[in-house]
Amino acid sequence: MNDMNVNCADRERIFMDGSAAEWAALEAHAATCAECGEELRVWKSMSTAAGELRQEWETHHLWTRIERGLTEQMSEKPSRLRAWLNSIGSVSVQWQMAAALLALVVVTGVAWKILHTGPNPTTEVFLKNSAVSEVERAEADYQKAIDKLDAEAKPQLEAAATPLMASYREKLLVLDNAIDELRAEAGQNPANAHLRHQLLAMYEEKQETLQEILEMKR
Amino acid sequence: MTTMGLALPWEARISSQEQERGSRVELGENPGSGLAPTSGEVRSDDLELAAACQAGEMRGYERLYSLHGKRMKSIARNLLGSTADAEDAVQETFLKVQRSIGTFRAQSSFVTWTFRILINTCYDARRSRMRKKEVTSEGTEESPLPERRAPGAHPSLKLALQRAMEKLTDHQRHVFLLYEVEGFRHSEIAGMLEITETASKNTLFQAKKNLRTMLEPPRSQSAEAR
Repeated sequence: MNDMNVNCADRERIFMDGSAAEWAALEAHAATCAECGEELRVWKSMSTAAGELRQEWETHHLWTRIERGLTEQMSEKPSRLRAWLNSIGSVSVQWQMAAALLALVVVTGVAWKILHTGPNPTTEVFLKNSAVSEVERAEADYQKAIDKLDAEAKPQLEAAATPLMASYREKLLVLDNAIDELRAEAGQNPANAHLRHQLLAMYEEKQETLQEILEMKR
Repeated sequence: MTTMGLALPWEARISSQEQERGSRVELGENPGSGLAPTSGEVRSDDLELAAACQAGEMRGYERLYSLHGKRMKSIARNLLGSTADAEDAVQETFLKVQRSIGTFRAQSSFVTWTFRILINTCYDARRSRMRKKEVTSEGTEESPLPERRAPGAHPSLKLALQRAMEKLTDHQRHVFLLYEVEGFRHSEIAGMLEITETASKNTLFQAKKNLRTMLEPPRSQSAEAR
């Protein structure tokens, strides 16, 4: 029935990528070879045991939770440029370039406004020393998390030459400049809550942008 | 009994008919799992599902959940170790799918793409949990997973394998889980993990070799130890 000849030396290759015929031949060989018989038994038993790890359970509430989350997310005003950036992927290159330019103008404008509109003296709030330390720690954590995302997104940003990616690169550049300036200002005036708030908004924007870039890869 | 002392905790539980699973051979024609676009029908269903989700139709997401929710939960449960975390990860996956649906280009199957997001979500959750653990257990040694145990010392076969799986690399664990536990084909795993089919096969082989050593030393090693 099985004309194929296999021996002990073929065993691992068949375990890795054997055809049905090779498996059958190995079974036949294992019937007369104690070592292969044992190895085959162990190999199969691992698969059998693994199959038992598959788990099923009913969760009637989970779809309800997901549906609620989706409904909320869909009804939300799209976060900044996300929806728009997502949608321009399906339009023509000319439109993408126009969209990229518009994105750049908008982000630059927002960053300029933030940087050149000084805090309103009447609403300016000053943080206490303990709060400043806490904020600085949080900012450092944020920065660390963003650096990680940055490193993950870097190959994608550098490799792709699409207008969309170009607009992302420009956006990140603008955000980095804004963050640098705000950090410099916050360094001179660490207790200024308004500055801290603006800096946090910039970090959030950068984090979201990097996440969008990474999500495109997924 | 044998030279190995029957260290395998699961040995007694394997019935002869179950053993077929170990030699699963991929012939590339089984449409069973329904992920890889092996037939026009499957591909068209997949595109239809993607289109419904892209159009923001809730029924698209509901269908995705009804078709694949169970498997998604099982994968997440095995990657995260708790039912609650698994359900959170599945929910988060749906939200991410909705957020990124505009970037889906149908270069791979929509369902494969969804599972890729799920695996990444679980991976992120695991990493974040490990970071938290590092912070909270600063200075205190995390108790390591138990080393190889004597036969019969395992509270259960499942637990023994789960523990051994924890010692695999993330990549090996993902491939082993997707293939052996969830029954995906290498072509599907390749799509989910963005690797080649050959890499998926090699990784599975390495994972099983490592598990085999952790759970039952090969005959030669066992004899040396005596």
